[in-house]
Amino acid sequence: METKTEKISRNGGIWKGYIYLLPILIVLITLDFYPIAYAVYISLTNFGLFHFFSFSYVGLANYSLVFRTGLLTTLLIHTVIFSVGSILVMVPFGLGMAVIMNQRELRGKYIFRTMFLFPWAFPAFVTILIWKGMLDYNLGIINKILAYVSISPVNWLGTGNLAMLSLILVNLWLSFPYYTFVYTSALQSVPQELYDAAEMDGYGALSRLTRIVFPLLRRQIAFISIFGFITAWNNFYLPYLLTYGGPGVSTQTLPIYTYIDAFANVQFAIGSALSIISILILAIAVIIINHYSKMMTILY
Amino acid sequence: MNEVNDQTEKMFHPASKAKIRNNSHYRRMRSIKLGITYSILIIVAIYAVFPIYYVVLMSLSVYTTLAVVSVSGLLPSLGTLTSANYYNLLYHEPFAGWLGMTLMLTGISTLSGVAISITSGIALSRMHVPGKRIILYMLLIITMFPMTIMIIPLYFMFHQLGLIHYYGLIVPYSAGAIIFSSWLIKNYVDAIPRDFEEAAQMDGYTASGALFKVLIPMSRPVIALSVLLAFLGPYTDFALADIFISHANHYTLAIGLYYASQGTITINYSVYAAFSVLMGLPIFLLFLAFQKYIVSGFSLATYK
Repeated sequence: METKTEKISRNGGIWKGYIYLLPILIVLITLDFYPIAYAVYISLTNFGLFHFFSFSYVGLANYSLVFRTGLLTTLLIHTVIFSVGSILVMVPFGLGMAVIMNQRELRGKYIFRTMFLFPWAFPAFVTILIWKGMLDYNLGIINKILAYVSISPVNWLGTGNLAMLSLILVNLWLSFPYYTFVYTSALQSVPQELYDAAEMDGYGALSRLTRIVFPLLRRQIAFISIFGFITAWNNFYLPYLLTYGGPGVSTQTLPIYTYIDAFANVQFAIGSALSIISILILAIAVIIINHYSKMMTILY
Repeated sequence: MNEVNDQTEKMFHPASKAKIRNNSHYRRMRSIKLGITYSILIIVAIYAVFPIYYVVLMSLSVYTTLAVVSVSGLLPSLGTLTSANYYNLLYHEPFAGWLGMTLMLTGISTLSGVAISITSGIALSRMHVPGKRIILYMLLIITMFPMTIMIIPLYFMFHQLGLIHYYGLIVPYSAGAIIFSSWLIKNYVDAIPRDFEEAAQMDGYTASGALFKVLIPMSRPVIALSVLLAFLGPYTDFALADIFISHANHYTLAIGLYYASQGTITINYSVYAAFSVLMGLPIFLLFLAFQKYIVSGFSLATYK
């Protein structure tokens, strides 16, 4: 393999590859690394509404401020509830739907497939705002349907815990197609003969799943779940558009608070400090999860 | 050999399997199982489709506010259907102007973003570049970063350059999709055998000429996916656009929809719904057309 690569590159020399990679390297450095370094720098100053033109270096003051005031704890709790809650409903739901869709004797698979694509295919930005209208306390269609079956209206977006539940349920709606399809293609990578052999050996449907399919797909399932956790942790549009962190602060997550604090409250330094903390926690969580899931692979 | 295959096929065929265990208990279990399966599928399908159905119905109905919508109105009747909302939107509201602004911005950034993604994806897959692994790790790590961390520093960088306006958005938008798309294209090209470009080299193409001449047509599916992703990012971006654009004439559809949702959602919901449908439907149709590529592209990205 390596010799072939060298054969191709010999014509242009070793630097030729860099010419093609120059644009992406420029993008990486100027629009990714430099801004991140800049965010670290801003987080160490008192740059904000009160020190807009003459700001100065304040060390870790912003970091200790968010720790001391309990702001970080509040935001972290919300972010963890939202992202872990999303994963806990999305992964089993997606896997279950994939297992159901993978049945051979199922008719009309194509129709269901197409209908399940709807939430994925319509831009999330648009559908989140549609959900916001549907979940409205007084005027929303969901409460009208509930009233139709004589259930008293539910203040979905106006009560703290229910607002978080709404976020997770709308997130489930937005992302279950992705999980269903990705898990379906993972399931299809398991050879049909294995299922058949297991069925002949008298395994039931459930033990076929737990004894054969899940162990085989352990790594894919772990990877997709980690990916989903990162996406949920960083999710900006859903909480921003659906609840704007409300009611009160009960659904403020790290990404939206960072944005609101920076651009609505003009507290750039604190916003930057929070986003740096967010990245550090995410990185540690991913390393731990990845380490753990890899360990599982070896232990198995 | 064929006979054996035939036999195993017969054995594993659902019909003959049913014959093997042809007792009433088994059959009853099977039909109960299928019944449960279909009920779940139908419930989930309603869950999936309902919001879209609802907004399309609203956009076509004569109701103007959310308050008058009732449960019985969820079944369309011909008397209440109208296209007036679309007419009002297209001829009276600033929709057309915003659409033009959006398409210009998304068009330019999609073209430049995808061009860069193709060259980098192919180079990362095929060319011998020292430090390639580091670049690949960097790309993967950057995709994990939340975009909100970039927004504050980007705002000040662009402020210093005097680029806080509509056209300034072209730069971050083009860059937005590059990281993930290069990664996708690199993974896709990795799976294409090298024989093709070697054959092209025999035919007299230069090394890099052969790469691009052969690999670009062969990776059409993943390029289609990259185009869609590169388009979708700026098309539905609100976070950056809202702080970059201050003039209402330069609004993109996303900002327009957001502010419409703040103001008119209870007053004139039908026009708002028509706005949502007009903004979402083209993407929806593109997505359905490309669904095969999208699903396989995402599976590829997550397994590697």
